[in-house]
Amino acid sequence: MEERLYDLIFILRPATPEEEIAKLTHTLEQVISEHHGKIEKQENWGTKRLAYRVSKHREGIFIYLSLKSTDGEMVKELERRLKVAEPVIKYQTIRLDEEMKLQKKLVARREKKIARRPRRQAPPAAAAAAPTGEQPSATPAT
Amino acid sequence: MSDQENVPPAAPPAPAAPAAPSGPPSAPRPRSSGPGGGGDRGDRGDRGGRPPRDDRGGGGPGGGPGGPGGRKGKRQFFRKRKVCRFCVDKVDFIDYKKAEMLHQFVQDRGKILPRRMTGTCSRHQRWLCEAIKRARNIALLPFASEL
Repeated sequence: MEERLYDLIFILRPATPEEEIAKLTHTLEQVISEHHGKIEKQENWGTKRLAYRVSKHREGIFIYLSLKSTDGEMVKELERRLKVAEPVIKYQTIRLDEEMKLQKKLVARREKKIARRPRRQAPPAAAAAAPTGEQPSATPAT
Repeated sequence: MSDQENVPPAAPPAPAAPAAPSGPPSAPRPRSSGPGGGGDRGDRGDRGGRPPRDDRGGGGPGGGPGGPGGRKGKRQFFRKRKVCRFCVDKVDFIDYKKAEMLHQFVQDRGKILPRRMTGTCSRHQRWLCEAIKRARNIALLPFASEL
């Protein structure tokens, strides 16, 4: 199975102490390494207002992880852990590799298009650049 | 009094007469506004709307991109053509984590704004829709905000 990219966000109760967050992230890291996954990015967004009430909380600590893995079981295990973990009030895993593939494709196509275009537009661009180059020199003279 | 009454009815026919020659051009007008307004149905709505607009520009006094200006005098309901903001910025992936940005495409109560309001192209609207739904799931955007 080829490598897949996942986004994992989970929300903790706003009163969760720092050590508990560290403990939880550590266990998650262990699970990830067990399944030969990689953490691409890890961010703590801090306490944010929730758009709606989640288990009677209006705020929550957001933690974002970007993961790469070839093992689908990893996500299953991570979600199980998050479900069981007491301070976690919400979590979401999204598979993003296909969208990233599409994005890369589109970027490549656009670059190709841009690379093709200058050949036709180069003479006018050079002509346009020349007058502008003259203008600044003309303005100090006057 | 009857004379005075006769005068106003007489006046409308006069403007109506010049309007009559423009009848044929006005006929495609509602049709072209159809794809623009109801473009949310077909993804080719804006593309289909373009050719007739160009034709009218060529036939009309304005011509080309000046057409809108020329039409403004004739028709007061002309609105500035909306452009897809994501196409302008050349966005290839709409990030569901940017809640601030997604907020612009959502009504106060949390509904997703239709394409006809925002001018987003069909492809980007599809991506946007997906992003908004993801953001909703993780409490970055409301499903329905209470007032």
